[in-house]
Amino acid sequence: MFVSDFRKEFYEVVQNQRVLLFVASDVDALCACKILQALFQCDHVQYTLVPVSGWQELETAFLEHKEQFRYYILINCGANIDLLDILQPDDDAMFFVCDTHRPVNVVNVYNDTQIKLLIKQDDDLEVPAYDDIFRDEEEEEEHSEDQRDDGSEPSEKRTRLEEEIVAEPMKRRERREWEARRRDILFDYEQYEYHGTSSAMVMFDLAWMMSKDMNDMLWWAIVGLTDQWVQDRITQMKYVTDVGILQRHVSRHNHRDEDEENALSVDCMRISFEPSLRLALYQHWSLHDSLYNTCYTAARFKLWSVHGQKRLQEFLADMGLPLKQVKQKFQSMDISLKENLRELIEESANKFGMKDMRVQTFSIHFGFKHKFLASDVVFATMSLMESPEKDSSGTDNFIQALDSLSRGNLDKLYHGLELAKKQLLATQQTIASCLCTNLVISQGPFLYCSLMEGTPDVALFSKPASLSLLSRHLLKSFVCSTKNRRCKLLPLVMAAPLNVEQGTVTVVGIPPETDSSDRKNFFGRAFEKAAEGTNSRTLHNYFDFSVIELKAEDRSKFLDALVSLLS
Amino acid sequence: MFCDRAIELVRELHRAPEGQLLAFNEDGLRQVLEEMKALYEQNQSDVYDRLLRIRALRWEYGSVLPNVLRFHMSAEEVEWFNHYKKSLATYMRSLGGDEGLDITQDMKPPKSLYIEVRCLKDYGEFEVDDGTSVLLKKNSQHFLPRWKCEPLIRQGVLEHVLW
Repeated sequence: MFVSDFRKEFYEVVQNQRVLLFVASDVDALCACKILQALFQCDHVQYTLVPVSGWQELETAFLEHKEQFRYYILINCGANIDLLDILQPDDDAMFFVCDTHRPVNVVNVYNDTQIKLLIKQDDDLEVPAYDDIFRDEEEEEEHSEDQRDDGSEPSEKRTRLEEEIVAEPMKRRERREWEARRRDILFDYEQYEYHGTSSAMVMFDLAWMMSKDMNDMLWWAIVGLTDQWVQDRITQMKYVTDVGILQRHVSRHNHRDEDEENALSVDCMRISFEPSLRLALYQHWSLHDSLYNTCYTAARFKLWSVHGQKRLQEFLADMGLPLKQVKQKFQSMDISLKENLRELIEESANKFGMKDMRVQTFSIHFGFKHKFLASDVVFATMSLMESPEKDSSGTDNFIQALDSLSRGNLDKLYHGLELAKKQLLATQQTIASCLCTNLVISQGPFLYCSLMEGTPDVALFSKPASLSLLSRHLLKSFVCSTKNRRCKLLPLVMAAPLNVEQGTVTVVGIPPETDSSDRKNFFGRAFEKAAEGTNSRTLHNYFDFSVIELKAEDRSKFLDALVSLLS
Repeated sequence: MFCDRAIELVRELHRAPEGQLLAFNEDGLRQVLEEMKALYEQNQSDVYDRLLRIRALRWEYGSVLPNVLRFHMSAEEVEWFNHYKKSLATYMRSLGGDEGLDITQDMKPPKSLYIEVRCLKDYGEFEVDDGTSVLLKKNSQHFLPRWKCEPLIRQGVLEHVLW
């Protein structure tokens, strides 16, 4: 059931208990987790934190810990599947689920006792009505009970039996109709996957309701929201609305900036709301590198072709920026150039057909040297979490990424930024080679691209978030490069090698690229059906159903099934 | 060599025939006595060092020493240890309020009741105050009372996470 008063029905319930936190492996979940940890430490709530990256890990961890806890909090996992069925908990276990995955499974919505959803109901949820899906079993039981009781009165029984015989086909037909309707409703409801409000924002809201919110928590909420935007999980409109909400909080916490007399010391942390450029990591890189490796500019300029690179030079010349300055580290650029850089770039970008260069976002300052945009932190944390270093396990990466979000661990954040740069560079190079060698082929209802094992940096793309990022950028670049009008509207399925010894690949499905995209993804269900139909050995382990693991040998029959399913 | 003079003196006495008293070898005797004093002082510093170590043991292991260690100590050392224990207990009782303050619990002055710890290796189940237990698995984080975590932190199983 949906929780209406987060404070009474959630926080005050867990305040005096020991809780177990299951946290998924994405940046939004990490931010929500940080906020909740800060609240728990304030109130001395004893908790245990277990990172999980997929359903199997969740099940295993639950089995290990179930004797010791009664209250469980799941962050960014658990809403879109029948939780009680998967975990088989005891009757007194209580689950609080704060998850952005939609649609929320109907069993979770209508369970009144064990599952509490920490989800705002003004997210357009469109949950089907109770009667449409669950039928009262009482009518059936009365029917059979009548039959058993009637042993004593033969004549009455006969007349009643006659009536029942007449009534039965009617009931059966009704039931069949009802079941067909139910299947349709559920199919429509569960067909498309999408995401709701960021969990970090939900947690911040809870903190604000209890008047325990702090600037640090606000920053984490901002990073959580920006993560959803960077990963194209929410529509532009929702991003703008949520930014507006957070901006009010920012001005509430950080208004002392404007007042010259009571200005805070430079070392204090300040968040500011400002327009910025849609260039990844440009303040920590050189401007040239940033223009080259941001998907938006790389796709529009078509930087994989020589012609495109010439256009970039024209663009820089148009702005009057000398090449030498542009290739230097941003922080060492001439101050005179840096001052009006943003407006200069926006103007020229408009001329070159890039109207969305300006982005409203937040930045954080503390000390003289440390200034980060929210998107910088998102890229850094994402790279830390999915870094493919051989000797570290998944949970090590999770811990590193979680630490990097604290302001005391700046070295980890900078390390993350370096990894992010490598990731972006590798992404662009892979895209360039895919487009130049025409690796993106149309299969009919969708485009398909597969990375070969020997491709450089292919290890960077075996995890879901990195592969999804690559696929989305590839689709955007492809749409800009192709002249085929029909191909521009197709979705993309992308495969990359995961584990060479076991012969598995990661497959991800991306919805088509349209201007007014609602970010709804149907590949989750499509993959399931295709796998069932062909008996392919797949593992639907990730919390996002549109990313699966597949045995490389089953790849062709799986694809064929997918083609016939979607045509 | 230390005992050379002493051995020489004894040999001289032994060599002299029965009943005869040799001249009182004052010089030799003085040297021997000096050697004895030096040796005695060295022994003293050794004994003192042992005492300091025993005192440290009280802080590390608590008021009951494991049997192995007690085996290694002489009777006097055990007695000294008991005296030390008693004076420490009296001192602690005299601190803070009615019950006294157990200062052997924390290594450094504590800042809060509960601390955030991270598990560095798989440890297994760990019992908490209310009887229930927590499973300590690698890379899981926990927020637990300080006094329960201290021994595990000392052993290196848990790591205190600072914010």
